[in-house]
Amino acid sequence: MAVNATMHVARPGRRDACLDWLQMLSGASLVLFMWCHMILVSSVIISPKVMDAIAWFFEATYMAQLGGPVIGIVFLFHFILAARKIPFTSYEQKTIWEHAKMMMHRDTWLWVVQAVTAMIVLIMGGIHMWVVLNDLPITAMKSAARMQQTGWTIFYLILLPMVELHVSIGFYRILVKWGVISNKTRPLAKRGEYLLLATFLFIGFLTIIRFLTLAIH
Amino acid sequence: MGRKLQFEIFRFNPQDPLSVPRMQTYFLEETDKMTLYIALNRLREEQDPSLIFDFCCRAGICGACAMVINGRPGLACQTQTKDQPAKIILHPLPVFKLIGDLSVDTGVWFREMYNKTESWIHTNKVIDPHQQEERMENEVAEQIYELERCIECGCCIAACGTARMRDDFMGAAALNRIARFMVDPRDERSEDDFFEVIGTDAGIFGCMGLLGCEDVCPKQLPLQNQLGYLRRKMGITAVKQLVPALGKIKLDKLKIGKFIPGGDK
Repeated sequence: MAVNATMHVARPGRRDACLDWLQMLSGASLVLFMWCHMILVSSVIISPKVMDAIAWFFEATYMAQLGGPVIGIVFLFHFILAARKIPFTSYEQKTIWEHAKMMMHRDTWLWVVQAVTAMIVLIMGGIHMWVVLNDLPITAMKSAARMQQTGWTIFYLILLPMVELHVSIGFYRILVKWGVISNKTRPLAKRGEYLLLATFLFIGFLTIIRFLTLAIH
Repeated sequence: MGRKLQFEIFRFNPQDPLSVPRMQTYFLEETDKMTLYIALNRLREEQDPSLIFDFCCRAGICGACAMVINGRPGLACQTQTKDQPAKIILHPLPVFKLIGDLSVDTGVWFREMYNKTESWIHTNKVIDPHQQEERMENEVAEQIYELERCIECGCCIAACGTARMRDDFMGAAALNRIARFMVDPRDERSEDDFFEVIGTDAGIFGCMGLLGCEDVCPKQLPLQNQLGYLRRKMGITAVKQLVPALGKIKLDKLKIGKFIPGGDK
């Protein structure tokens, strides 16, 4: 908190409250989307036909053609909103890094992880969406063919843990910030967060393995 | 025969032009029930009279001896050396103005905080000093007392990533202060009035939920619960201002506005 003399009086307004609501709502909707996304792609573990059927449903109802770009816009919108809190100046970056090292405090480190993964997801997620939405309809074979190229294999092996870390920490932090998790329920929520992360990482890696072993015809 | 404790203490006197920020090593034999407060006093008396640090009550009441102990803000008088490793690293609290070595000026910061939060009862009632004080429900008095226990040591501010990065952020001490006046029935400020004070990124919407404040508070104040409550309350206040028709909704009826000092109740 600055202790300098007040040079001007800030006009009270609802801007910051609205931006905070929108940040939370866009984040929560992207978390929901990522869970649905996981259901779609992991269905390939059961059978490529199941995945194709779900993808066909999204295609037939225009959810892929319209929903895809909408998700892309929400994705960028969420970045712009959340960027208000991300340290971009070297002074801020040095400060938060020194702070995290000093405190050795799990929730502080989780936030650092969330901020770093945000930048990676922004770039890699953007590339993923561009490539997938420019090659509709989504099919298990097309996905497998892409993922079996070494470059894309590495790409998805990085993107998956980055997304899952960002999503599960983000979900936990929304609940903390808005007071859904209290100090009494926090240890339980923390365990839930780790369980969520482990579950989605497990399913995610299993899905990648399935795509890599799928015979392309 | 106790352990031989090694102290790494930050030394710098901004008043002395020849002083350079550095870490200085001291050794001291640990005694039974030794606190950092005792250790620092012994170091000053027996080894180095120039060592600067603050203390007053030695009982966790005044908050003067707050410092960074092995990376975590805490009170020297409440920290027993037996709970620490043999090497103890001490720094002054960040954010606040350094007076020298481990001593910082929290007073200027808290004075500014009082001004920003208008930390007094706002009422138009004329108080008759000859009459008995107005009574309040015991439960309400206890809720106020729960939040009033803050000793203003500054640990929550030093442990806050947001406060470290952005010097206009009010921090948990200020937000807890506002929560205390929200509970007080004598304060006639409305939700909109409180929103003017903390409804910005410098106030409750700047909190990123890192919970450093909650985890270091030497008085175990329910800061996490208060911050969560204030965010909901101020978030809903903004929506009510935008959509006046929602103004009739009473927050407490939704069971999301109840104060939870000390946890779930």
